[in-house]
Amino acid sequence: MTAVIRAEKLSKWYGNVLGLSDVSLEIGPGITGLLGPNGAGKSTLMKLLTGQLKPSIGRVTIHGADVWNNMALFADIGFCPEQDAFYDELTGWEFVTRLLSLYGFSRADAASKAERALHFVELFKDKDRPLRGYSRGMRQRLKIAQTVAHEPGILILDEPLNGLDPLSKRKVIRLIKDFRDAGKTVLVSSHVLPEIEALTRSIVLLHQGKILAQGDIPYIRDLIDKHPHKISVKGSDPRALAASLVAQAAVQNIQFGPEPGTVVFETGDRDVLFGLLPRLIVERGIDIEEITSPDDNLQAVFDYLVGT
Amino acid sequence: MKSFARSVRALASFFWFVGRKARRTKVFVLLGALPVLMSLVIQANRLFTPGTSVDGPAVFSNIVMTFNLQFLILVLALFYGTSVCAEELEGKTLTYLTTRPVPKPAIILGKYFAYAAFLILVVAAGVALSFVVLHIDRLGDAASWLVLLRSLGVLALGLLVYTAFFTLVGTVLKKSVLFGLMFSFGWENIVQYFPGATQKFTIMHYLKSLLPAVSTGGEGSFAFLLFKLEPSPPEAAVVTLAVLTAAFLGLACWIFSRKEYLFED
Amino acid sequence: MPISEQGYSHWTGTFVERRLPWWPITRLGIRMAFKRKFFKFAFAISFLPAFIFAAGIYISERLEDFQFMLRGRRGSTSFLEVNPAYFKSYFGGDFLLFMMVMIMVLAGAGLIADDLKSNSLQLYFSRPIRKRDYILGKMSTLAFFLLLYTLVPGVLFILLKFLFAGSFKLVANYPWIPLAVLLDSLLLTLFFSFYTLLLSSLSRNRRYTAILLFLVYLFSDIFFGIFYGIFRKPGFCLLSIKANLQQVAAALFRVKPPFDVPWIYSLLILAAIGLACGAVLVRKTRGVEVIT
Repeated sequence: MTAVIRAEKLSKWYGNVLGLSDVSLEIGPGITGLLGPNGAGKSTLMKLLTGQLKPSIGRVTIHGADVWNNMALFADIGFCPEQDAFYDELTGWEFVTRLLSLYGFSRADAASKAERALHFVELFKDKDRPLRGYSRGMRQRLKIAQTVAHEPGILILDEPLNGLDPLSKRKVIRLIKDFRDAGKTVLVSSHVLPEIEALTRSIVLLHQGKILAQGDIPYIRDLIDKHPHKISVKGSDPRALAASLVAQAAVQNIQFGPEPGTVVFETGDRDVLFGLLPRLIVERGIDIEEITSPDDNLQAVFDYLVGT
Repeated sequence: MKSFARSVRALASFFWFVGRKARRTKVFVLLGALPVLMSLVIQANRLFTPGTSVDGPAVFSNIVMTFNLQFLILVLALFYGTSVCAEELEGKTLTYLTTRPVPKPAIILGKYFAYAAFLILVVAAGVALSFVVLHIDRLGDAASWLVLLRSLGVLALGLLVYTAFFTLVGTVLKKSVLFGLMFSFGWENIVQYFPGATQKFTIMHYLKSLLPAVSTGGEGSFAFLLFKLEPSPPEAAVVTLAVLTAAFLGLACWIFSRKEYLFED
Repeated sequence: MPISEQGYSHWTGTFVERRLPWWPITRLGIRMAFKRKFFKFAFAISFLPAFIFAAGIYISERLEDFQFMLRGRRGSTSFLEVNPAYFKSYFGGDFLLFMMVMIMVLAGAGLIADDLKSNSLQLYFSRPIRKRDYILGKMSTLAFFLLLYTLVPGVLFILLKFLFAGSFKLVANYPWIPLAVLLDSLLLTLFFSFYTLLLSSLSRNRRYTAILLFLVYLFSDIFFGIFYGIFRKPGFCLLSIKANLQQVAAALFRVKPPFDVPWIYSLLILAAIGLACGAVLVRKTRGVEVIT
């Protein structure tokens, strides 16, 4: 993967408060989720990546060029800020077209791009209303419109799904995936894990200003040795299944429930357990309805790493 | 250089549009019209009260110009100059500008030019209309029109330099209004009357040195404004004002490019 | 006792109605004002006239100790006489009025503007607070400071005069002084409170309201100066907020007013401005803003 966005040993102090500590990462084409609890440093990292803040230590580059005070880079970057702030005197149409004019587009080009962007976020029919009269969701959609209107190659989105209704969220998630499919680079930050999970399996997990984990969700999960994997099996005779496996070294713990007919195995080696299960099912004739990994997801990874 | 100029132009156009739509614009336009109202009242009184010895040109040069030069342009420049940076921070809209492919100095310059143009328009319209009202019976006098043009020039220069100064103040200080008020109605309004070279430490001194009465030696008109003035040569005054404007703007651009601005949560 | 589940639980106590529902708003406003850097400086400086006048009261009773100050006026009993004119000089003083405006700019410009900006009015009115509690709370913040510069020094001057003179001669000779102190303090407090809150409610931008506060006061005086300078008619004093306040102060203390205009006109103008401010203020402070 060719890194589009690169952060090298990035640290940021706000006076005596450390906002970000020794963060190094590379982000390439595709969707990368940046997640962490409130105060983890996500917004600080976003601001460093978009040149709003200068690193105290380290370097941020996009396409190999330093970001700080390098305005030329922003022709290809679309940034959706977290704060709900606008030029309230303007209408939606004026807001998008006027910002497009700063890219050097002609009036006609700006109009057509604005129209496309506003249609996409379903704000075209409200384009002539003053922004003061927009609801929270409309304002969020407008932010997304101004982010994508100039068709950038890199999207940096800070909590883009805030305030959106479920249908709008699906549309925006679809848009972001379309960007990924077009080979563009997308960095999305959120503290809402299901949103990130719906978008990508490639994450950067921040906590207290440091990167706790980075990469594919299952890959990260596998690295967490401290917490054994949970395999939940629902079937006709969970106790018989449990009895068959209790002697196996790979099985560290067995729990029944919470659902009737369910047994949850904790194992340090999923591959061994998944190898044993089919053999036992056939030999003992146990009916199995469902096999799942309850903690092979982002929430579990988050909980284990952040420790809440 | 060409793209920098293009960015400045685009931003100036952007902020001209935004500023035009702001509610407060109407308030400041009305403020600029106050001298016109004043002039109408004075002329109406002259018409309906025969025997009053109110001279229109004298009122224009000593009242209207004093009001504009010593109060109105200071207040307008204070608000709009500090707004160049402070408005974007207070409204948290700075992000939309700094994440566009426009150089940071262009943001300052573009907004400055838009606001300065607006202020010059507002003040010029007010002063010109006041002039017409107060000179209604001698509009054919070419010399008076020259006085108007020169006065407009002084006010325009004043707006440019004061707005540039307050742009710098707004870029550096968070709470710029109090400093601005102390500067405008403390320093500028007091030190300009100090004798000798001390008064040269005020911007007002150089503006007043350019007033028509200074070069024509006419002491009658603009007597209020010329009180205690030890004028500098007009050429030196223009150069000083131009240098000050460029210096304030240059410094503001330099600071804005290097400073990190954090929004208050 | 039942076992309570962890998490949210409904409080089973009884609500006690607050006697002063606006008091928390006032307390917060005062605390926020003192958090501002320049405010503390302006707050301290604004007491300067009070100190000077208090010192004057002391000196007036110890004139023999300060004979060196009375150049060519030895034995003069009219120098530094503490009489209604003395009180009027304090209450109508240019510096005091100006500093009160500055205090309003620093402490009052953002009182409602900041709430509008952060959409806090909805939070206020979703509590058991009525609109009048909200406005009263904000006004009380301003009244706290204004009364500190008016009523408190006024009462202090009277007490100091009693103390240093060792008699109640002041009140015996001028029995209207205490009432005049109270009424003028209330007038200044009410007027400046309404004036400040109105301008603060006109915008979400504190910087803009601060400039407006200063501008309206200053320009009203400038226009008076201009028209008076041209027409020499004292009636133009009605244009100036400062002049109107000084006219009414003179009437309350029963001294010659600075301008030959019936003081009742000034009072009516101040009352009209105050009422207009109040009416607009009540309209502006709504939990929900209607956008058309």
